[in-house]
Amino acid sequence: MNIKNGFQITSKGLACLLSGVLLVACGGGSGSGSTSSATENIPDSSGSVDVPDAVTGLELCAQNIPGINWEALLTENCPKLSDYNLFIDAKNPAVGPNGNGIPYDLSTPLFTDYATKYRFVFVPEGKVATYSENEVIEFPVGSVLVKTFSMSADTSKRGINETHIETRLLIHRADGWTALPYYWDSEADASYIVTGKTIADVSIIHDGTPLTFDYGVPQKNQCTNCHAVVPVLDRNDPTDRRKSIFKPIGPKARFLNYDYDYGTQIENQLAHWESAGILAGVPVDKTGIDSAPIFNDATELTGLSTEELAVMARGYLDINCAHCHRDGLTIPTPNYAGAAGDSGLTVEFNRDFSADPGRFGICKTAVAGGYPADDTGYNQYPRDVIPQHADKSYLLYRMNTNDGRHKMPELGRASIHKEGVELIKAWINSLPANDCGLTLAP
Amino acid sequence: MKIHTPLMKLGLASAIAIAAFGMTGCGGDSSSSKNKSESMSADSSAGIGAIVECASSCTRSGFELPAGAIYVSPDEVDGADLKNALITALTDIPDNAVIVLPKGSFTVSSSITVTDATGVTITGHGMTETKLDFSSAPEDDGFKFAGGTDITIRDLGVYEAPKNAIKADGVNGIHITYTAAVWETDLEEGGSNNGAYGLYPVSSQNVLMDYNYSVGSADAGIYVGQSNNIVVRNNVAEHNVAGIEIENSNSADVYNNIAFDNAAGILSFDLPGLPQAYGGGVRIFSNNTYDNNTTNVGAGAVSLAPSGTGILIFATSDVEIYNNKISDNDTAGIEIASYFLADDNVENYAANYGATMANGWSPLIKNINIHDNTFKDNSLASPPKEGLLQGIIAGFQSAGNATGSEQTAPAVIYGAIGELLSNAGKLAGFNQIVGADAKADGVNYDVYSAADLICLQDNINENNKNTLGSNDLNVGLVYGTDASEPSNWNADLTAPTPTLRIDLMENNTLLDCTHDRLAPAVVTIKGKVYGCTADDAKLAACKL
Repeated sequence: MNIKNGFQITSKGLACLLSGVLLVACGGGSGSGSTSSATENIPDSSGSVDVPDAVTGLELCAQNIPGINWEALLTENCPKLSDYNLFIDAKNPAVGPNGNGIPYDLSTPLFTDYATKYRFVFVPEGKVATYSENEVIEFPVGSVLVKTFSMSADTSKRGINETHIETRLLIHRADGWTALPYYWDSEADASYIVTGKTIADVSIIHDGTPLTFDYGVPQKNQCTNCHAVVPVLDRNDPTDRRKSIFKPIGPKARFLNYDYDYGTQIENQLAHWESAGILAGVPVDKTGIDSAPIFNDATELTGLSTEELAVMARGYLDINCAHCHRDGLTIPTPNYAGAAGDSGLTVEFNRDFSADPGRFGICKTAVAGGYPADDTGYNQYPRDVIPQHADKSYLLYRMNTNDGRHKMPELGRASIHKEGVELIKAWINSLPANDCGLTLAP
Repeated sequence: MKIHTPLMKLGLASAIAIAAFGMTGCGGDSSSSKNKSESMSADSSAGIGAIVECASSCTRSGFELPAGAIYVSPDEVDGADLKNALITALTDIPDNAVIVLPKGSFTVSSSITVTDATGVTITGHGMTETKLDFSSAPEDDGFKFAGGTDITIRDLGVYEAPKNAIKADGVNGIHITYTAAVWETDLEEGGSNNGAYGLYPVSSQNVLMDYNYSVGSADAGIYVGQSNNIVVRNNVAEHNVAGIEIENSNSADVYNNIAFDNAAGILSFDLPGLPQAYGGGVRIFSNNTYDNNTTNVGAGAVSLAPSGTGILIFATSDVEIYNNKISDNDTAGIEIASYFLADDNVENYAANYGATMANGWSPLIKNINIHDNTFKDNSLASPPKEGLLQGIIAGFQSAGNATGSEQTAPAVIYGAIGELLSNAGKLAGFNQIVGADAKADGVNYDVYSAADLICLQDNINENNKNTLGSNDLNVGLVYGTDASEPSNWNADLTAPTPTLRIDLMENNTLLDCTHDRLAPAVVTIKGKVYGCTADDAKLAACKL
């Protein structure tokens, strides 16, 4: 039963609300403009029952077809990940995409509790995505981005002894992108889940040390926390009623512009997508593309020049923060910003640092939040970033804490990325001196 | 609905707040358009409208639950976790749905996000009838509304949110009413167990917050930021760091509120570096702000507010403060300061704030109109409380002030350094930084014109504590404003010197001027208009 259909709550619907079970059991809840009508057959006035000819609604999920279930992807929130038939082996979302799916990776990825992420892009046959210099690549309707989060027992041995936790789909449907979270509640398949999930006491070994945390699979509603840009309301237009725009975050030229090992060959990802026919408009000279360098847990920071360190730090801030901490700089639709654009801290990779360092937090007072004073009465972290004083910079503190009131990002990590903290710390300490008008103890 | 004594027991205070708002039956509520009897009082701030029988059932505040409302877990028992039921109900909400949370005390073990809701009402059965305890949620806000239009949140209590209780970002039309944001850990213990903002609309328009209660926030209990067309009325803000705060917002009426036992009662700030660079058109009137002497455990911008403050105006221009009752605030009744109070490094302003100054943010304060307020027993801390103003107040009290004799500490303190520097032409260089739009809007660093002044007129002295020898009601300026007066400068006339001028408020010569009145704020939600020009048009406070 689709909750959207009027206010007549059947007892089935009421049971759904009471038990809060997976929307799956109650059916429906499809994202948008859906053709999914009630699966009941409704008698017409003559009393006879109309049997639909074509397969519609959730039946699209159950249909057994070879290849990717593009129809279902376009309109249905299927109960099982395998319903979409995205992988040759439904039990293994780490390899073997079906059809023309292509694996990809990002030079600097978002931190999610040291999970391994298996990413795939699916563009419908015959369609092509458009290159963008600074923004997410423009994928055509029907495209699907798939990301599986897997936890390694030991992060120094990724791919071995891993457990799949969740697979997130971003699907470009006719009326915009939608996010569908799937949780691997068995080894065989993943189930659509709206309410999120907390997995208590996930234990891994990282860098030789045991690490334990509660992993959070986000609620479906929470996808927009990171993935939406929100309208900047026009104060002179009281009729401004625009809605948020949902966007992918990762597949941007700057994070794809490096060599990936496809097994059969090693090739620059942008070039590979182009020769595979799914991407058009890529510049011939890839070296001219402003790119985020590779940053992973093995990256050595010593020996980097100040300039290299800055680019690396800016890439890290972009992928971990700028989905919220951005304004309209590169958003194609005018007068939109990230959810935290109004904090004044905007850290897009392609933003000109020297034009306004305050946007990157230099000498900026935290607008919301902040950390109470210490014993001397002095606010421990008086500014977002105090050059050469990482230990007094609130931005770094927020990366380096799990305190729910201060933690950043707000959503998506339960542990601390110590390598990321080291990177940003090194960057802050490498900035030109500026005491921000404060009297700082040495 | 005057509350005369500060209440330290939170439960008791909340009960009194409820009684003050009290609709004991289903009273006429202005937001219930289908109410049988339209005999609700036009004076919405009276608290109790006409008592009528509800057609079906009502919330405690008198909101009638319509046919077709969606009930979430109506039979759930106390203590149950509503997380899954809430998430399910608040996913893909139909336009104009009314979602009813159950009666009782429940936990919610995660933050709840609602995106792009249109015309939706989320209601409990009452501020204390539907209590949602977020202490087991690991992080983030209680409720987070991202985008949307014409959203109403009412008749529920959000307790122990890890971060903000209710945040609404980028909403056009948001009505928060009969809602409580509560943290019960005592702020004095360091504030780390307390959430951030209580009720937190930001980057929004048509914001109406009335009959709410916020207690225990380590930042601001009731806050509106970077928004336009705002009415904040009939709320109670108790024991927060900042009681009620308006920040970088335009056209805001803050009236008939009670702010007590906060560190600072009512604040208006313009912070640098924000997308909505500056605000104005803020009217703070007919509020009761008293006994705001709690330690300031906040951080970030709010940590600047001195504990013991009734009303603080910080770097905002175009503010009118009138008909307030301001009592027992131990540092000062009203403080008015430019951003130079936070950062006096004028030479670095172009480098550090150039971009935001181009957008019109200014460290200066102009056009502040303070009239017809009643001051009773403020600024009595002796010695003055620790904080930014400690030395300044001690100076006013001592014979070192401009009169040469000891004086009663001023109830209104104006820094005035920004005005002095402007009048001396020392800030004229900043004029080049100001962008065209801001310039057209009047942002400048010229000598203060008559329209720019801080004016203090017709205020009333009700002091009677007499413990320090006099019941004088004083106003003090830290710096003088006459650039040509040598005593305002150091020997070589390169830097200003504080002179600590102090005078009786009555017939004072320091801030003797008048201003035109500011225009009232107008809020429109779902086609209904709110505020002094609309549903409160007959309210005595609005007619002043």
